[in-house]
Amino acid sequence: MENTIEEEIKEEITENKIVIYGKGTKERPMCGFTRETIDFFNRYGHPYKVIDVLNNMPKRELLSKMSNWPTLPKVFIGGQFYGDTDILDPMAESGEMATLLKKVFEKEAQG
Amino acid sequence: MISKEAIIHYIKQVFPDSELSLIDKTGMMDHYQLEIISSKFQDMNRLDRQRLVYEALSEPMKDGRIHALEIQSQTPQEANK
Repeated sequence: MENTIEEEIKEEITENKIVIYGKGTKERPMCGFTRETIDFFNRYGHPYKVIDVLNNMPKRELLSKMSNWPTLPKVFIGGQFYGDTDILDPMAESGEMATLLKKVFEKEAQG
Repeated sequence: MISKEAIIHYIKQVFPDSELSLIDKTGMMDHYQLEIISSKFQDMNRLDRQRLVYEALSEPMKDGRIHALEIQSQTPQEANK
């Protein structure tokens, strides 16, 4: 069972350049931090996927184990784990985020 | 719910040298904003810094006394900039 969820997560973070595992959907975030993270990525204009894991405890537990990170939301960019807005905000301030997103989305443009 | 004193107690066990500023964001004593300055963060990336703070607070995070925590971490050198 665990393998299946793990495969599902790997597929999600491979197929989507930006993934937010959070509480609620893009249209209806159920948690202030998930909303804040959605607002964060709206500023950049790149496509991103919000995956609601509010009621999916097995997936939440596995995500926490895989990322060694206890809380939601959890953000993956280009398949890499980047934590939450505590990490993303300083990255935005320093310019690292713009560079990272440029790199991740350029790859896609090149095929 | 958890008191500021209890949070500080947990953190000081892992970060004895730390300077802390703790804000109760909602007045409900379960959603805090923490600013922490410690030399332990030297040479640690942002993800590992947060992980170490979460680890220090793993008990009250697990049992739900802390619902939400925002963390800003700095080394003493970074704080003096």
